[in-house]
Amino acid sequence: MASLVSLFEPLSNSKAIVVIRDSSFGMPAIQSIHLVGLTVLLAVMLVLNLRLAGLSLTHWSLPSIERQLRAWALGAIALVIGSGTLMFLGNPAKYLASAPFLFKMTALGLAVICQFGALRRFFTSDPGVRRRAINVAVAGLLLTLWFSVGWAGRAIAFV
Amino acid sequence: MPLLAWCRWLEQTPLATAISESIWLFPLIEGSHILALPLSVGMILMFDLRLIGVAFRNGPAARMMADVVRWSKFGFIIMFTTGVVLFMTQASKAYGNAFFRAKLLLILILGVNAAVYQIVLYPKMEEWDAMGDTPVGARICAWVSLIGWVSVITCGRTMAYQF
Repeated sequence: MASLVSLFEPLSNSKAIVVIRDSSFGMPAIQSIHLVGLTVLLAVMLVLNLRLAGLSLTHWSLPSIERQLRAWALGAIALVIGSGTLMFLGNPAKYLASAPFLFKMTALGLAVICQFGALRRFFTSDPGVRRRAINVAVAGLLLTLWFSVGWAGRAIAFV
Repeated sequence: MPLLAWCRWLEQTPLATAISESIWLFPLIEGSHILALPLSVGMILMFDLRLIGVAFRNGPAARMMADVVRWSKFGFIIMFTTGVVLFMTQASKAYGNAFFRAKLLLILILGVNAAVYQIVLYPKMEEWDAMGDTPVGARICAWVSLIGWVSVITCGRTMAYQF
């Protein structure tokens, strides 16, 4: 753990990070960007997965929604990871020692792999060709993963 | 009773003290407040994207509004309930907080914006859906909503740093 902390030390002590950490509005601004990014990201995931489960926007084809929202999802992920990296570098020792943070990173990695890799075909094809129970199970799994990221993020402040 | 005295009284109520003193309740309520954002505000933002014309272009806005509002209502019920309870636990700190006041003012503006949309633009939605065009007024409402909700989130996150 100590070696990991020392690995991030040069970046953590860089002028930009020190300015963000020490100014009154640096960290609140970064955290606000993080929360806006997370809201957009989870909203996109809600729209996609509720459509997959047949619970919303059934007048739109799922592949079409996926295409139109892909840029928003990727933009929101970039915003969340970018701002999250700045928050992490503000205090790497705290985050590396936090169990919820490690859980959050694992859940985020799994959610990204499943949504954009392993289970992507569910969103690029017509859900009507499969049994609805399978679509509902996939949507439930993905939404659980995505919302775990949010809950674990909140838990960092308390645990 | 002056407002500040009422805030202090609110903090001393059995419900507020029980939540403040509990290890799990406060984080659970605060987490629910924040995690309801994608369902409430997030779904509204998705509809704003439709009105602005950057997503869901190939479908009727009226149909999308019905679908989105159904889910966002549920999110707003969670947000409002948890928000009131959170306020009860820190009422006097929130009372003097400029970001909290700005947040309330923005929510009021967003409420007026939604009412204008509902009264002026909503009754003619099927007409402009059929023409395949979104009126300028609807686009302005969408931009106000988009900018307003992002500002509400920013104020909400920043106010916690002033406590």
